[in-house]
Amino acid sequence: MAEQEPLGSAAVSRRGFLHGLIGGAAAASIASYEVFAVEADPTAPPQAAPASGPATALSSGGDQVDVLERMRAELLRALGKPAAERRWVMVIDLRKCVGCHACTIACVAENKLPPGVVYRPVIEEEWGTYPNVGRRFIPRPCMQCDKPPCVPVCPVNATFKNEEGVVVVDYPQCIGCRACLTACPYSARTADFGLTYTQGTPVAAGLIAGRDTVAAYEKAANFEYGTARPREGHESPIGNARKCHFCLHRVKAGELPACVTTCIGRATLFGDANDPTSLVTRLIAQPNVTRLKEELGTEPRVYYLA
Amino acid sequence: MITIKRALYMLAVIAVVLGIYGFGSRLLFGERDVNYGSYVNWGLWVAMYLFFAGMAAGSFMVASLDYLFDVALFRNTGKYALWASAVTLPGALILIGFDLGHMERIWKVYLQPNFTSLLAQLVWSYSTFLVVSTVALILAIRGRRTALKPVMAVGLAIAIFVSGGVGALLGVNAARVSFQNAMLPAQFPVLNLASGIALLLVMVGFFGVLADAERRTRLVRLLSLTLVVLLGVKAYFLWVDYSQALYGQTQEAVAVAGQVLFGPYAWAFWIVQLGLGVVMPAMVLLVPSTSRRAPLAGLMGVFVLVGLAVGRTSIIFPALAFPEFDGLTDAFTGPHLGLDYTPSLMEWSVTIGVLGLSTLAYLVGTDRLPLFSKSPEVAR
Repeated sequence: MAEQEPLGSAAVSRRGFLHGLIGGAAAASIASYEVFAVEADPTAPPQAAPASGPATALSSGGDQVDVLERMRAELLRALGKPAAERRWVMVIDLRKCVGCHACTIACVAENKLPPGVVYRPVIEEEWGTYPNVGRRFIPRPCMQCDKPPCVPVCPVNATFKNEEGVVVVDYPQCIGCRACLTACPYSARTADFGLTYTQGTPVAAGLIAGRDTVAAYEKAANFEYGTARPREGHESPIGNARKCHFCLHRVKAGELPACVTTCIGRATLFGDANDPTSLVTRLIAQPNVTRLKEELGTEPRVYYLA
Repeated sequence: MITIKRALYMLAVIAVVLGIYGFGSRLLFGERDVNYGSYVNWGLWVAMYLFFAGMAAGSFMVASLDYLFDVALFRNTGKYALWASAVTLPGALILIGFDLGHMERIWKVYLQPNFTSLLAQLVWSYSTFLVVSTVALILAIRGRRTALKPVMAVGLAIAIFVSGGVGALLGVNAARVSFQNAMLPAQFPVLNLASGIALLLVMVGFFGVLADAERRTRLVRLLSLTLVVLLGVKAYFLWVDYSQALYGQTQEAVAVAGQVLFGPYAWAFWIVQLGLGVVMPAMVLLVPSTSRRAPLAGLMGVFVLVGLAVGRTSIIFPALAFPEFDGLTDAFTGPHLGLDYTPSLMEWSVTIGVLGLSTLAYLVGTDRLPLFSKSPEVAR
């Protein structure tokens, strides 16, 4: 029979494990920080004082900043320009994506996506034969194409590129024909069939957070496109085509898209490609940049670093 | 004894009753109970919309042989074809209307259209077609053949346009290899004409339509031979579509063709679409004596229509069931995010109900409309 470990020693080893984990995470963060470490932009607006604690050392120590802070500073700077002069792009570093799906979940939470609606799945790809095998993860948001095939097919102009170049859906205008779903070469649009996660779940008032409790949350409004839309009856966005919009409602408030802030590997980056000093502008000029289905001529605004 | 008409009345009423569930579910709960989704985003209703709209356009084309071109053998058949067009077009519009996530907003296509959209063009064209068909019907009822001619000319042009337009609605999608070819807009007008000819053959075969037996026999023979030619063209289209897809060896084209030819629903292609819908009717209709057995010819017309209906499904479903990225369906799972599509009970219910409504409208019209009751040619 295997000898049982005393509780104390188990606790110690668990603590040791946690130390190791934190150390590893910190090392990973520093590694990702170092990849994008650049000199702080002297033209950037002053930032709020960083929180105290270990993060401080990473955020604003010396003349270097974390990519999230840098991107946020660049975002604020871009918001100071007229909207038509911004060119939002997303850069996804496939070498850094670990396939944790945090971005997918953050997106679902941020936009309160119902069952069957997804804006940013992470596709897993495997190739080769053992022992020569490879695997990578490909997050797939809306490509925000500069020549979007989904726009001309819409019979009522419900989907269009806004002045910042983001392809948006005007929910109250959309008739739900799903022609845009057929036209999109990236399957980046999904239809909202009015489902809820709590549909058909048991009710046990006072005992579990069942249907009655959670349903209230499900019906509460999200804030896509800056408009509160409670999920009631057959009101939009139910019955509509839905898609990633680069979290425009957050961007307008000076926040990065939810998928960017939650990416643990700093694999997803966002910014204004019309700003020659921005991080994304520098990255999309690299030789290892690529875009999905480039041969279709859709001119995606999502770039991948391979 | 139960006549064919009485049997059809009963079947149509049963179909309408079966459709009540689907209509109710769609109107009360929206698209909650449909099985099409975000990847296979167009399902049975869209396929059957193409079929019903095809019958409407094709029947109008056939009606023009009488009312526009004055083809002697087709005299007095125009009203039947026109009425068939009039009852199938609303069926198509109900089906495509139910497919909309927000059908109450359809007015936006009229008041705020985007004419670069094939769908907007089709909505406007079908609406115009509906108006023109109605005017043509009224003029036909009043017996004003001279005034009818320009209306039929306009209607014929629209019928050809909407037929090609439906093909283009699919064909413009560069994202879908099996849609994106110039063949679809070219094929659909021909297939729709075949629908119209087959429908007239059903009407003549089952209900007589013409009182003069000798003329009826000659008409059945002509319709039969025309249909055989059109079936030959359809078979050629199928050959072109699938042989090119397989020969070209592009991944998507091969997969989609393979799905139709060798997939789980291959029986629908080989047995229903090709066997029942092309080979059998072609063989039977080629036999000269068939023209003297009008009900048999009518039955062949039904088979051809069934084949054409299945053909629409094999254009729509397999093309959409091919994933735009490998692994997409595994990346995030959930309802309506699959590539396997089988129409739900509710979708079938609506489709059967629409079929019943159109059939019932046809029967009631031919029994009650003055257009038919006044005619000395009508045979019961």
